[in-house]
Amino acid sequence: MTMKYFFLKRIVEIIVIFFVIMTLFFLLFHFAPGDPVSRMVDPSMTHEDAAYMISQLGLDQPLFTRYGIYIKNFFQGNFGNSFHYGEPVIQIIGDRLPNTILLFTTSIVLSAFAGIFLGRITAWHKGKLIDTLGTILALVCHTLFLPWAALLIIWVFGYQIGWFPLGGILSPELWIQPETGYVAKALDVLYHMVLPLFTLCIIHFGSYMLIMRSSMLEVIGEDYILTARAKGLSNRQICNRHVAPNASLPVVTSVGLSLAFSVNGGALTEIIFSWPGIGRELIFAVTNNDYPLALASFLFISIVVLVSNFIVDIVYTYLDPRIQY
Amino acid sequence: MAEKRACLKVSACVLLIFLSAVMLMSCTGRKNEKNFLKIAVSEEPESFNIWLASDANSRKMLSLIYQPLYIRDPEELDLIPWLASSDPVYFPEDLSYTVSLRQVKWSNGSDLTSSDVVFTINLIKAFQVPRFISKWRFVKKVEAVDKHTVRFYLEEPKAVFLTRSLGVPIVSQKEWEAVAEKAIHSEKPYKTLINHKIEIPLGCGPFVLKEKRQGAYLYFKKNPFFFGENQTIKGHTLGPYIDRLLFKVYRSADVAILALKKGSVDYYWSGIQPGHMKGLTRHKKIDVFVSKKSAFYYMGFNVRKPPFSDPHLRRAMAVLIDKQFIVSLILQGFATQMTSVVPKGNGFWHNPDLPDYGCGLSRAERIKKAYHMLSSKGYTWEDPPVNQNNEIVSPSPIRLPHGRPMEAFTILTPPAGYDPHRAACGTMIQEWFKDLGLPAQSRPMSFGALLNTVKARHEFDTLIFGYGRLSLDPDYLRSFFHSNNDKSRGWNMSGYKNSEFDRLANASLAAMDKFERQKLIWEMQEIILRDLPYLPLYNPALIEAVNNTAFSGWVEMVGGIGNIWSLCCVKHQGVVP
Repeated sequence: MTMKYFFLKRIVEIIVIFFVIMTLFFLLFHFAPGDPVSRMVDPSMTHEDAAYMISQLGLDQPLFTRYGIYIKNFFQGNFGNSFHYGEPVIQIIGDRLPNTILLFTTSIVLSAFAGIFLGRITAWHKGKLIDTLGTILALVCHTLFLPWAALLIIWVFGYQIGWFPLGGILSPELWIQPETGYVAKALDVLYHMVLPLFTLCIIHFGSYMLIMRSSMLEVIGEDYILTARAKGLSNRQICNRHVAPNASLPVVTSVGLSLAFSVNGGALTEIIFSWPGIGRELIFAVTNNDYPLALASFLFISIVVLVSNFIVDIVYTYLDPRIQY
Repeated sequence: MAEKRACLKVSACVLLIFLSAVMLMSCTGRKNEKNFLKIAVSEEPESFNIWLASDANSRKMLSLIYQPLYIRDPEELDLIPWLASSDPVYFPEDLSYTVSLRQVKWSNGSDLTSSDVVFTINLIKAFQVPRFISKWRFVKKVEAVDKHTVRFYLEEPKAVFLTRSLGVPIVSQKEWEAVAEKAIHSEKPYKTLINHKIEIPLGCGPFVLKEKRQGAYLYFKKNPFFFGENQTIKGHTLGPYIDRLLFKVYRSADVAILALKKGSVDYYWSGIQPGHMKGLTRHKKIDVFVSKKSAFYYMGFNVRKPPFSDPHLRRAMAVLIDKQFIVSLILQGFATQMTSVVPKGNGFWHNPDLPDYGCGLSRAERIKKAYHMLSSKGYTWEDPPVNQNNEIVSPSPIRLPHGRPMEAFTILTPPAGYDPHRAACGTMIQEWFKDLGLPAQSRPMSFGALLNTVKARHEFDTLIFGYGRLSLDPDYLRSFFHSNNDKSRGWNMSGYKNSEFDRLANASLAAMDKFERQKLIWEMQEIILRDLPYLPLYNPALIEAVNNTAFSGWVEMVGGIGNIWSLCCVKHQGVVP
């Protein structure tokens, strides 16, 4: 009963928070300086032409009228057309999102596995050489400047050694050939994923490793671990059954939130690796005052983050039965 | 133990498959490379809907598809017939121009006729298409005389009709008629028109879009119906000599340059920063082209408000600015100093006899000259920048002629991330102004906010701004300085008002004689350089690079080698012309 009440309360909270976010985003974009027409640096376009364009885009309407249209359209599932692409924003997000999920979500999952695995090892061997080296590696990777690391990796593996492509999500030369099959195309995308995935993994795994390590060290000092040792359990059993599951809660929170935020991609990674994801589109939409695209993208990210938080709350109760809401 | 062995076997298999895939992939796409030109672009076009597309990349791609009646020749920059077969014939009695068309076919094999031209112009007028309407507003009527003759009736004589209006690309009536018909009856006709998605545009240019993949590539093939093939126009025998054209998206300039060096692409269709020059010129496989741009970078003053409304102050500020320093150090020599608001590269319209404030003076001489200019007009200092021994000293803040100290003012610039040169210029100019006690503060501002502050709200003191792609027709002088354009979102951002200039600008618009118009345009430049609402600073050079191993025959013109002439003339080196 308490649990049901908690979840109902959380759902209501999520709905209220979402509407607050919706309104805040709308107001933020409304009051942000600039408009999509001012950016068109074409001296032959007169101020009358600019005013006509603004009226055609509906930007001359009063604030409340626009807000009303925005809410109405939201409930109709209509997010409008991008001012720059002229396409429905849902379609633009739909085109870019799979690319983002493919790269960024995969990188979070892989780096989380690597981080958790190495975190367990270093914590279990605290004070030994492996711990020192692992911790230094994690700290170095965690503090690497992504654009620099990405360019260096491209230069070494893409240009000097030439094992991997310099960027992009696919090889156009392969895709334009009509005889290219789906398997070859899928392999091609995987091949193009290697360098960006590697870069993202080495940037991200450090934080997961450090969280896992410190959490493990905390759990190792608990009385029940001493009891487990006294019972004569092997190190592997103690580590796998008693320490790691109890130490994984902070990592689950961190990975859950990272997975949620992975849908907004990463503009820098996408630009350097020419990866057509949503992160660069977000930056483009905001800097070019493309309100429909920016609003829809941010709303989508908000929904994913809110829902992910809710899911993490549920997962907590399964991971640790002591947690009561 | 057995588990470990199995695990090792699986890992080895995965590694083997992966390495095989890597080898396979690195070998793909290297066959049938002949006559296959690959070009790197920094962004994909935003839209193939010509009525919406306003970004540089859309324009690049669309210029290969949709063609105008007249085009600029690459050497002299004169307008020459393109879809038209000859120069337009003017009939002064009814203010009409008659244009004859070539035998041109659309890429689907159908004929381009005068109806298509009439339809294009009527569509622009009906939908008030903002990018084009100013070029056609003064055209009363367009009629198809016969299948290959069009007549344009003007309301009044307009010089820009020949130079600007006839440069508008022509679209196919068949492609757009139904779309326009549906859009015109909608609540927001223009919005409906621009929201129409064009997958494969129907054009008559040298290439046809075959396939595009969002964020990755655009694949064009040679248009078998291109009217220019094997024709010699202005000394250039047109092809295209390439069968296939691939645009690959590289969002980072650094990576695009690596791709160029590696031979993954033959040309990077984007300006390259001077910092890359050393690495490019050393590379044997790379040819670098440094071209003039029709660009104009300047310092603008808000002459609506004091003290910037005082031309004496503006002239003194101009003396303090060392353009030679900006060009040689900030732009590393890849720019020319501008002495007029029309770039030197635009030879016919550029007035070469204009004052160049402070030219050739040392730093100390500039300060002294500016000091004398201002002190003679009532500006004062508690501690002047030039002492009684005629030595330069650190001054106190300047006082305006009425005795009050000058308030701190800002020099707005785009941020360094957007344009490092303009941001650096702002910082340098701020320091030069301080040498005279002018309390300047350089303030980088995001481009959108800057435009809104300056163009829509007029809330600024000074700014450093620029236009990277100015039209070759100098009619933009009217846009920038005519008092009618001093409105919110108007192009007269400095708020300059001068009835004499307005008169000349109106006369230049109506002057049908090229030389008479040149005289007026030169006078307009004189007035602007005298009154200095804008102080021209520099015109950056355009640095481009090609991989020379496969293709040659690039055509240089103002604006670089990325032009339709190049793509019609470039040849694989294995092909004998």
